[in-house]
Amino acid sequence: MTNKNENPKAMQVAPALDLCDIQATVLRPRPTPYRGEYVGLRIDDARQGKTMLSRILPYVAPSDEWWVPSLPAWLGIAFTYEGLKALDLPQASLDSFPEEFKQGMAARASILNDVGVNAPENWERPFGTKDLHATLAIYSSDDRNLDAVLDRARYALLGLPGISVIYRLRFHELPDGRNPFGFRDGLHNPVVEGSGSKVYPGFGRPIKAGEFVLGYPDELGATATAPEPEELRKNGTFLAFRKLETHVAAFRTYLREQASSPEEELLLAAKMFGRWQSGAPLVLSPEHDDAELGADLSRNNAFGYADDTRALKCPFSAHIRRVNPRDALAGEFVAVDLHHFLRRGTNYGPPLPEGVLQDDGVDRGGVFLLIGTHLTQQFEFVQSQWITDGNFINSGTEQDPIIGNDQADKMFTIPKAPIRRRLHGLPQFVTLKGGEYCFMPGLQALRWIAELP
Amino acid sequence: MSENAAVSKAASPEGMKDQGLQMGQAHEFLILLPLKEGGAERMRAKAKTFGDAIKSIDHIATVHDFRYAIFDNDTRLLFASTYDGGFEQYIKDFSTLIPDQIDEFFGDSEGYPGVRNPEIWSYIAKYQLQSLVFYSAYPDVTVRQIWKGQRVLAAFENLLDQAQS
Repeated sequence: MTNKNENPKAMQVAPALDLCDIQATVLRPRPTPYRGEYVGLRIDDARQGKTMLSRILPYVAPSDEWWVPSLPAWLGIAFTYEGLKALDLPQASLDSFPEEFKQGMAARASILNDVGVNAPENWERPFGTKDLHATLAIYSSDDRNLDAVLDRARYALLGLPGISVIYRLRFHELPDGRNPFGFRDGLHNPVVEGSGSKVYPGFGRPIKAGEFVLGYPDELGATATAPEPEELRKNGTFLAFRKLETHVAAFRTYLREQASSPEEELLLAAKMFGRWQSGAPLVLSPEHDDAELGADLSRNNAFGYADDTRALKCPFSAHIRRVNPRDALAGEFVAVDLHHFLRRGTNYGPPLPEGVLQDDGVDRGGVFLLIGTHLTQQFEFVQSQWITDGNFINSGTEQDPIIGNDQADKMFTIPKAPIRRRLHGLPQFVTLKGGEYCFMPGLQALRWIAELP
Repeated sequence: MSENAAVSKAASPEGMKDQGLQMGQAHEFLILLPLKEGGAERMRAKAKTFGDAIKSIDHIATVHDFRYAIFDNDTRLLFASTYDGGFEQYIKDFSTLIPDQIDEFFGDSEGYPGVRNPEIWSYIAKYQLQSLVFYSAYPDVTVRQIWKGQRVLAAFENLLDQAQS
């Protein structure tokens, strides 16, 4: 069962989005190619924190003009709950934030299945501590412009000893827009109603803006009333920041062990992702990769699972079928449109050279910003149910083959006629190295914070 | 009690403390609600047509069982259920997909705010009762797994029947 526009409130004409007040990171895809840096700040002095914010404000890109060349690169800024406390926000404002945001991602570990190697006590510092207060995400299309913006960010901190840079991570696009496993990703995002983003076939109907930006009606027809006051809330949103280290050598080695030919290795890997390396979806090309299809934005999302109900093409457990079920759960008791969020992924670290099966000990992976106004029903729901559980697809306790975190025998089932194939003992291909819940205010709200007495 | 016996759960997704016990992935829920004047009569009348609702409850596929009873001279309602872990995560889905059915069922309770009202969480917290003991004979098996097991067993028996004839 899906709620396709059945709600009469959801049929109302959508208000126009205030694009010049919403941070570009929320609504706009990263540039291609991209490079950039995440910078983590600790704020020990509220006054200086506000000064820093007012200096940085001119470089924070809005969603309407992010491509304007007057800015050599663009910057996004978001705060943890500890950060908003460090900025001395009024107590009534702090109290009005949603509970999960106040608790922070580390405190939600049992709900998110961030246990074992993924547990907060194993995270890189400063993640999961009370020290990370603000995160800057700086995006650029080349190193020169990136350095120019980093210089400005550095300038913004001049003479402010109460602000410390406590984390830095460079990120960049890998060749052909692949992820460290060699797969093209970031191919799908929900369409935000009124955002003006280009819509390709297969992206589904536009989702109400209130699911992604505070201040607009959401899928249930409700407009957020928190956090308080409206000046702080308007055009802001929440994000889950996740740093995921990828174990590429373990992935390749496992495929080598399970397959009897290079072609079969590629097929098993594609079954796990739901797409071939080129991005071509299994549903549209079940037997072999199709580079042309993978590269064609007008076709590489134009599919559903209605003609693959037995999952003989794309397994029920495949990563993309889990995290974005499209029509696969039609007839099930779930309101799929309540569980969308925007994914802004970036890669870090050098690629592991082609064919290498030996781990080189280099940290490589992806950082994901999972953006939406309802962290519980969006990111937390998808993480705890569709990634961590198998019951909803009649697969018992089987988890996502790529990003699952199974403490027992990790399995992956590939439906096949007459007898399914089940892989056992999948190693951990991805480890969570840290994460935070952040509030990403609108531009005017940033000014409101900067000008607080 | 063994080590995997019932334990109290962490906070539910909405931040409300869920007082139910769990054993393995099985969860229990017990609530005692005050009934409105005449509510008991209306509940009895509704219960007569309960059979019509069974299909839609099956559809949820995570509820093992539930029961309800009226007590204290028709002034209170007891509702008890066992459900699969993860159910809490779907509460928003319930209030989106079948709000009217839920409100119809609980609407005779005094002070019931309606399932779409955020006040529903504090209302539940106010009247939920933590059980002292919770036992499940199959704490690690979900409703779906039981149904699947039944189908597989039937097919297997059928295969044996054919093999012997």
